[in-house]
Amino acid sequence: MTDASRLPVDDSPRGTVLDAHLHLLDRQIVDPNGMPIAVVDDLELDGVEDGPQDASGAVRVTVRGLVTGPVLWTRIFGGRAPEHRYDELPWSDVGELGVVIRVDKPADSYEASWTERWVRERVIGRIPGGRHAPD
Amino acid sequence: MKKVLGIFLGILTAIGGFVDIGDLVTNAVVGSRFGLSLAWVLPVGVIGIIVFAQMSGRVAAVSGRATFEIIRERLGPRLGMANLGASFLINLLTLTAEIGGIALAMQLASDIQPGLWIPVAVVAVWIVLWRVKFSIMENVVGLLGLCLIAFAVAVFLLHPDWSALAHKAIPVMPSSEHPSTYWYYAVALFGAAMTPYEVFFFSSGAREEGWTKSDLSESRANVLIGFPLGGLLSLSIAVCATLVMLPRGIQVDSLSQVAMPVAQAGGKLLLIIVILGMVAATFGAALETALSSGYTIAQYFGWPWGKFRRPAQASRFHLVMIVSLLIGLGILATGVDPVQVTEASVVFSALALPLTYLPILLVANDPQYMGDQVNGRYTNGIALVFLFLILVASIAAIPLMIVSGMGA
Repeated sequence: MTDASRLPVDDSPRGTVLDAHLHLLDRQIVDPNGMPIAVVDDLELDGVEDGPQDASGAVRVTVRGLVTGPVLWTRIFGGRAPEHRYDELPWSDVGELGVVIRVDKPADSYEASWTERWVRERVIGRIPGGRHAPD
Repeated sequence: MKKVLGIFLGILTAIGGFVDIGDLVTNAVVGSRFGLSLAWVLPVGVIGIIVFAQMSGRVAAVSGRATFEIIRERLGPRLGMANLGASFLINLLTLTAEIGGIALAMQLASDIQPGLWIPVAVVAVWIVLWRVKFSIMENVVGLLGLCLIAFAVAVFLLHPDWSALAHKAIPVMPSSEHPSTYWYYAVALFGAAMTPYEVFFFSSGAREEGWTKSDLSESRANVLIGFPLGGLLSLSIAVCATLVMLPRGIQVDSLSQVAMPVAQAGGKLLLIIVILGMVAATFGAALETALSSGYTIAQYFGWPWGKFRRPAQASRFHLVMIVSLLIGLGILATGVDPVQVTEASVVFSALALPLTYLPILLVANDPQYMGDQVNGRYTNGIALVFLFLILVASIAAIPLMIVSGMGA
């Protein structure tokens, strides 16, 4: 009854549809070894004002990076943090999107984990036994 | 055989770990004032904690997400932060109460005043958090906590008139008490049984021990058998107080009074056992609440956490626990009565319950996290009923607290 060849061919780009709010924001970021780095506090978007338009007139916005750190407080209380205080993980590092977001480089190589390293070097690492596994 | 032994051990630790200072104090106070007319709250609270602890453990095992990570993902940063603030403060209050409880229990054992035991208790808790493996910590305090069975033994040694006791379990408000006081203590008992730190600890513990789907049946056995038996321990505390304190019109306002019926029934030997159980129960709960303070903050902000990592690999997590212990020490240094801190902490717990349990229920129904392990229809049905009860208790908590003058 139906002639399959007459149906319009769907040539839209294939891929998973993600809801930025549901699948990116507030998700845990981990490194390849499963070490937690931070939570996605906000997204850095490119082309919100000057992005290329597609045929329907919609602006094409791309995600530039995952932002974390002090930006959380402005997201909760409003306002805007100075740009240099953003701890950004570039979108190109994202390797896997699931229940957690996996990035390709080790946790310590990101600026976002500087407080962890600071507390480790200044406080916890200096207390006897701090660098050994519990037994 | 090893598996059977593991399940047996898990059940024993679940029983021993069920009771904390909140349960000890609230049950004894309620028993001494209301007899068993509030005993109906216990099974309600026990079923509630079984449903939600089991659910949070299942979510953690299947999706690898602990409870506060889920709260952040589901409630967003604002409501999540409000929840974090409330949960953390209540947790801090509970931690303070547990440390005070250790000191009071040690006082019973040694006759040295609690002010001197408090710093010792804080250091001891910290050393265990810093150096002892999670599974050893869990098993040792859980097994020692089993000594609280002395309360159940005491009930039998007191030779109660069982039919009269059963008659007292009918939920009738005593005419000597104001209804608001009755319902205030109902909420307190409910809050003591369902304290939120238990699910933070349970779900994070599932990650600490590396649970997978195949461990779920074991955890179900632990919870389904261990928690009701732990609830029976709570009940026997209330029965002891009903038998000994209520007829004499003594109101429980110290930990020594909680232990008094046991001394009367079983003499020195049973008293020693029950004191050991009290030390283990409060020490274990102090560990759990201290860990929970680290778990909640680290999970909200996405920091590395857990005792399976070296302290240096989870530095902010360990720093939070150290600071929490120091704050607890500071609060107790003001000379506040730990028993009153406990009573406040269980009522405030009831206040924060809905914000903790709703996200667990939502995620347990989300196939992205759970795959084919999503909640069944019956689990959801029971969970919804309890969510309603939790909501009612939470809304009623503060008004009841004011009207009854904190149960005065």
